[in-house]
Amino acid sequence: MNSANICQDFFGGLESLFTCEQTGEYQRIRTPYLYPDGDIIDVFCKVQNDVVIVSDLGETTRWLRMQTVSPRRTPKQKTLIQDTCQTHGVEFFKGIILARCRPENQLSAVVFRVAQAALRVSDLWFTFRTRSVESVSDEVADFLSERHFPFERGEKLAGRSGKVWTPDFHIRAVRRSSLVYVLSTGSKSAARAIVNQIHTAWYDLNHLAAGPEALQFISLFDDNLDVWSEEDFRLAEQLSTVIRWSKPDEFAETLMAA
Amino acid sequence: MLTDSEFETILNDTSKQVEGDIVWQEDEDHSPILEFRIEVASETGWPLFVRGSYNALIQTLSFGLILKTAGRIYGLDLGKDHHNPQCNQVGEKHKHRWTEQFRDKEAYIPEDIDAPASDPVTVWEQFCAEANLKHRGKMAPPPPVQGDLFL
Repeated sequence: MNSANICQDFFGGLESLFTCEQTGEYQRIRTPYLYPDGDIIDVFCKVQNDVVIVSDLGETTRWLRMQTVSPRRTPKQKTLIQDTCQTHGVEFFKGIILARCRPENQLSAVVFRVAQAALRVSDLWFTFRTRSVESVSDEVADFLSERHFPFERGEKLAGRSGKVWTPDFHIRAVRRSSLVYVLSTGSKSAARAIVNQIHTAWYDLNHLAAGPEALQFISLFDDNLDVWSEEDFRLAEQLSTVIRWSKPDEFAETLMAA
Repeated sequence: MLTDSEFETILNDTSKQVEGDIVWQEDEDHSPILEFRIEVASETGWPLFVRGSYNALIQTLSFGLILKTAGRIYGLDLGKDHHNPQCNQVGEKHKHRWTEQFRDKEAYIPEDIDAPASDPVTVWEQFCAEANLKHRGKMAPPPPVQGDLFL
């Protein structure tokens, strides 16, 4: 190969990267694009009147849901999907990424748009917590930003014993500010040790929960995994308000309460 | 990170079981795809569940064993091709299997799965047998998809 025929070789090889065959009522185009686990992205075409509907038939969200612990997408993930659809000029309808190839459009361009959108939507996989890219604390920070709560992360506060503690969030609301520890683990055996540590922290910091500007203590349990026992919640309740992260609205209400 | 030996322990654990009947349901988008999720109990106590999903429009079917702390560690896909990190295509019947090196990106052809995607109940039975998973209950066949999506 020399530089003179690079373009020729490139364009000549493009066709072999795609296969096209009938699957049920649809023409399936198998692309060279991959989901993050290596599964191949297919795009499906169906003629309706003078339009070809090009879609992934929901396979991208199906693929995503097969990877996740969460029963539903987070607001941030929904926003990322909307953003992707806007960039690539596709529609997200009932979990399906689709675009219309009208008579004046080129089918290959529409197929590429849908395939690229599928690729980018599947990259939401990188936001799943099991991939260690985003922690539940990051999710909480996103939530606080969305709800316009001013907050500081990782503030170091001295306890009565002299030990320095680092609650995950110091959040300021109109009526009262709060300190929040986020309790998250995937291990039942580690769960009790975490609750014990937070209980100790609240006890050592309890001078901050007194006076006219008393801080509210909140233990925010990541209950996405079933690792916490009722005893864990009862222990945390002794010195703090217990909130489950599966109920974010309750978290916001608690922050806003007097 | 789940180690190879931990994965083998989970997979070879014959005390894994799911309890109750499995019913296919709509997903959160009300798409044509049907799915289910069911918790896996075991003597070893690993936090596991199984997800299944089925797209009757194009006959794609998946069952995945998901470890809540690591994501999918074992999964069967029918009707969708796969490309391995070693750059080989595996085919439309493939099974993902966790390794420390590739996580769940590496797949192979499971010879003992011979039921087609159009028969999710039989595929489920074969998947359970290979994954050492007991199902104490029944799986209902998925209901037919109603109408055309885009009309």
